Amino acid sequence: MRRKSQAALEFLTTYAWAFIIIAITITALYYFGIFDFSRYLPQKCTFPSQFRCLDFSLRPDEVRIKLVNNLGEDIQVTSIDITNDASTPISCTAPSTPFSWTHATDQNLIFASCSGGAYIPDTRVELKISMSYYAINTPSKPIHLVNGKINGKVLSS
Amino acid sequence: MGKSYLAKCQVSMEYLLIVALTFVIIVPTTYLFYNYSRESSQEIVDAQITNLGRSVVDSSETIFYSGKGSKTLLDLNVPDSIDSVIIIDGKELVFNITTTFGVSEIVFFSSVNITTISSNCELNVCKIPKLSRSGLQKVKIEAINKDSVSIEVI
Repeated sequence: MRRKSQAALEFLTTYAWAFIIIAITITALYYFGIFDFSRYLPQKCTFPSQFRCLDFSLRPDEVRIKLVNNLGEDIQVTSIDITNDASTPISCTAPSTPFSWTHATDQNLIFASCSGGAYIPDTRVELKISMSYYAINTPSKPIHLVNGKINGKVLSS
Repeated sequence: MGKSYLAKCQVSMEYLLIVALTFVIIVPTTYLFYNYSRESSQEIVDAQITNLGRSVVDSSETIFYSGKGSKTLLDLNVPDSIDSVIIIDGKELVFNITTTFGVSEIVFFSSVNITTISSNCELNVCKIPKLSRSGLQKVKIEAINKDSVSIEVI
């Protein structure tokens, strides 16, 4: 009887040790970002085709994005904002507005002095950009909103 | 007895290793493909709406220059992410859409005056509620007078 109890207890102890080792290993792997699969996704800039994203770069303190006006109309951009889903969203100095944008031309939009929002070199970030504009030739000049997204890695320097 | 026990241990260990390896492959692959398909579907919706809007505006311009009384019928496949469709100032055809990163407007500009049923118009804004319903829609485009073209979902 005693022998059986000892065997059972030893089995359970071994089992517990195995569980502890596995749990510690998984925690360590998680801590070092092994399970962060998003870093294997391609870096991408997504905008509606009317403002196709030609290029972008995420520098340590600034975000650069190159968009082309495919609306077929000249527009006046009234505001541009950048944000993300972090608890303290990213804060940057947006390009000065308003500015006019001729159709079929591209614009380099530079968000300078970026801070917060977990915008750290060598990390993967997802940024949301929203832009308001109106068409110069439309009589009542209604304001339209367009949203885009950048998913990429912040350069180290 | 001892040999049989060891063989069973090896079999169960190999089984566990195969299951673990399968999980290691399946979980990241599922995540990557899920994200990839989500972004691709967004691009498909954008392309569908661009195609839809361009068809309506191009047809309106063609019908306008064909003269009063001219009409055509378009079969359009409307995606399900459109919240509303409006005409502003008879010049802008605006699709309000919901994307994974917020609400956006896709605007198409017409060189001819476009309108819809007068009961759906208020001041300079006309709504086309049926055009935001997903699925196949029949859109009638008609030059109602010498100045404007009517867009109506039938």
